Amino acid sequence: MRWSRKPIDNRMIDSTAGRTAVVHADRPEQVLLVDDNATNLQVLYQTLSGRGYRLLVARNGRQALEIAQKSEPALILLDIMMPDIDGFETCRRLKQDPRTRGSAVIFLSALDDTGNKVKGMQLGAVDYIAKPFDPDEVIVRVEIHLKIHRLEAQLARRNRQLEADNQHILAAMNEGIFGLDIDGTVVFVNPAAVCMTGCSEQELLGRPVHALGLFGGFGACVQAHPFYSCLKEGRICHNEDGELTRRDGTRFAVEYNCSPIFEDRTLSGAVVVFKDISERKQAERQLKRAYTELEKAHRELRDAQMRLIQAAKLESVGRLAAGVAHEVKNPLAVIQLGVDFLAGVESDDGVVSEVIRDMEEAVERADSVVKGLLDFSRESTLTLRPGDINQVIDHALHLVDHELIQHNIRLEKQLDEGIGIIDLDSNKLQQVFINVFMNAIQAMGRDGVLTVKSRVERIENPDRAGLDRERFSAGEPVVQVEVLDTGCGIAEESMVFDPFYTTKPTGQGTGLGLSVTRKIIDLHKGMIDIRNREEGGAAVRITLKMG
Amino acid sequence: MTQKKKILVVDDEVMMTRMLKRSLEATGNYEVQELNHGARALEACRTFMPDLVLLDVMMPDMDGGEVAAALSEDSELNAVKIVFLTAIVTKDEVPPTGADISGRTFLAKPVKTADLVACIEAQLNRQAF
Ligand SMILES: Nc1ncnc2c1ncn2[C@@H]1O[C@H](COP(=O)(O)OP(=O)(O)OP(=O)(O)O)[C@@H](O)[C@H]1O
Ligand SMILES: [Mg+2]
Repeated sequence: MRWSRKPIDNRMIDSTAGRTAVVHADRPEQVLLVDDNATNLQVLYQTLSGRGYRLLVARNGRQALEIAQKSEPALILLDIMMPDIDGFETCRRLKQDPRTRGSAVIFLSALDDTGNKVKGMQLGAVDYIAKPFDPDEVIVRVEIHLKIHRLEAQLARRNRQLEADNQHILAAMNEGIFGLDIDGTVVFVNPAAVCMTGCSEQELLGRPVHALGLFGGFGACVQAHPFYSCLKEGRICHNEDGELTRRDGTRFAVEYNCSPIFEDRTLSGAVVVFKDISERKQAERQLKRAYTELEKAHRELRDAQMRLIQAAKLESVGRLAAGVAHEVKNPLAVIQLGVDFLAGVESDDGVVSEVIRDMEEAVERADSVVKGLLDFSRESTLTLRPGDINQVIDHALHLVDHELIQHNIRLEKQLDEGIGIIDLDSNKLQQVFINVFMNAIQAMGRDGVLTVKSRVERIENPDRAGLDRERFSAGEPVVQVEVLDTGCGIAEESMVFDPFYTTKPTGQGTGLGLSVTRKIIDLHKGMIDIRNREEGGAAVRITLKMG
Repeated sequence: MTQKKKILVVDDEVMMTRMLKRSLEATGNYEVQELNHGARALEACRTFMPDLVLLDVMMPDMDGGEVAAALSEDSELNAVKIVFLTAIVTKDEVPPTGADISGRTFLAKPVKTADLVACIEAQLNRQAF
C-alpha cells in the first residue's frame, strides 16, 4: 500500500471524477487550432477535419485561452509566432490554469531550432511540429497525442477512483491509521485517528510520532518508543494492552499494530493501526467482577454446605462426646489419682518425680481434648434464617419415624399451614424436636399416641399463659408447638431441665437432652415448658417469637 | 485425736474405687469402703454408716441420682453427705473443688486428690454446723 503525502479532499475527487467521466462519454474529442495566419488555419483545418474529432479555432493567444477554458480540448495545436501573446506565453498560462492544464499542447512553428523546441517542452508542451508541415505527419502526431491523452485521462480517472475508494474505506474504518515515513514522521492519518487522538490533522501531519506522546508516555525519547524497533528493524510491533493519551491528556485502552512498509525490499516506513478497546476492557472488567462475585457466591455456598454438614454431625457428635467423655474420663481419673498417690510416696529418686510430672501433664492434655470435644458438641451460637417451622418438625419426625414404628406409636399431626416464615436456626431446632420426640417415645415405651401441634397464638396475658413477661408482651403473636404423649409422665417437674438429670438407665440417657433443648430455645428468645396431662402422659410446649 | 471420717465410695469400676480408697486413706484422715453396685448402696450405708458418700453419676444398675434420692428418703440416712463424681461435665462447668447443681455437689473427673479432699472436707464441715 502507498500513502499519498497529502490528504485528498473527497469532494474534489468525487466531482472531478464524475465530470471527467461525463465528458468522455458524451462528447467527441476536441482539438483547438491556434494561428494568427488564416491560411495556416485553413490548411490545418482541412488536414484534420472529418477524422471524428471536433475542431475549434482561435486566431490569437487570448482567444485560445478563452476557448480552452470553456471547452477543455484534449489537444491544442499552438503557433508560436503570434502578436500580443505569443505561443510560449499562451502555453505558460494554459499550464498554470487548472482548468486548462489537462490539454496537451503541440507547438507549430517555422522556428525550427533546438532552443525553441526545448523551451516549448519546458513549458509543458508534448510535441513540436515544424512549418511548413507535412499533413500526414500532422495527422499522425495528432492521433498519437490524442491517444496518449485519452489513456492518461483514463489512467487519471481510474487512479482517482481508486484513491476515492481507498479514502472511503479509510474514512469508514473504526481503526485509527497513521502512516509513518522511515524517520517516524506522520505522513498520513485517517478520520478515525483524528477523532480518537483529539488532534487535528494539521497537528498530526509532519510531526515525528514519538513527539506526539500518543502511545506510551515516552516523550521525545525515540529509542524507547514502541514503534522504534519497527522502523529500525522492520519488526511488527503488536500490543493488545496499550494505552493512548489524547491531546487533552485523557487516556483510553487501545490495541495497536505497527507494521513495516517495504518499497523495493527496503524499509520505507510503517503503518500504525490502532483500535479503541476501552469498551472491550470494560466488558472484561465487568466479566472479571462477575466472576469474582460468582466465585464468592460459590465459596459461600460451600461454606453453608460445610455448616450444614457440621450441624448434622453435631447431633451425633453430642452423643458421641458424652460417651467418649465417660469412657475416657474414668480411666483418666484413675491415672490422676494414681499419679497423686505416687507423688506422695517418699522417694529421693529425682527421675521418679520427673516421670510423675510428665504423667500429670499428659492427663491434663487428654482431659483438655475431651473438653474440646464436649464444647464442640454444645456450640452456643445460632444461625438464624427465615424458615418454615412445620418443615423443621416434619424433618425431625422423619428422623424418628423408625422409632415410632418400632414402638408401635401412632402419630397425630396437627400443623397449622398458615404460620408462614419466621427466623429460626433449623438445624438446632431440629435437634430440639428430636430430643423432645425421643423423650416422648422413651416415656411411652410400647404403644401410644404422639401428638404434634403447631399454631399461631396471640398472647393476651403472659402471666396467665405461663409465659415469661420479660420475653413476651401482651397482644404479641407467637408460634406455639405442642408435643403430647401418652407415656408415664414426668416424675419431678423441677428437675427435668437440669443437666445430667435423667431417669433412664446408663447408656440410654445422659440427662443432657432437655438442658441442651432449653439452651437452644433460650437462644431463640423463646420458652419451653413441660407439664403432666390430666389424661396421663406429658405435654411439652415450645413458644417462639414471630418477629 | 478425732475419729477418722467414714467414706463410702460407689462406682461401677473396681479400678476407680480401689484408687479412691488408696488415695483417701493415704491422707490418714479417712476410713474408706468400696462398693461397685449402685443398687447395694443403701444396704452398705446402713451397715457402714458413712459420714459421706462419694457417688458416680453413671452406673449401669442404679445411677448416682437414684442412690441419692433413695438416701434422702431414708430417715436414718438422709443426713449423709453426698458428693457426685461425673465424667460428662467440663472443668469450665464444674470448678476443680466442685460445684452445686440443683443443690447437689459435683466433681468433674479426672479430679486431683487435693481438690477431692478439699471438696470432701467442705461437705463434712458443713455437717458440723
Ligand atoms: N415426655 C416425657 N415423659 C416423661 N418424662 C420425661 C419426658 N421428657 C423428659 N422426661 C424426663 O426428664 C429427664 C431428662 O430428660 P432429658 O431429655 O434431659 O435427658 P434424658 O432423656 O434422660 O437423656 P438424653 O439426653 O440422653 O436424652 C428424662 O430422663 C425423663 O425422666
Ligand atoms: Mg432426652
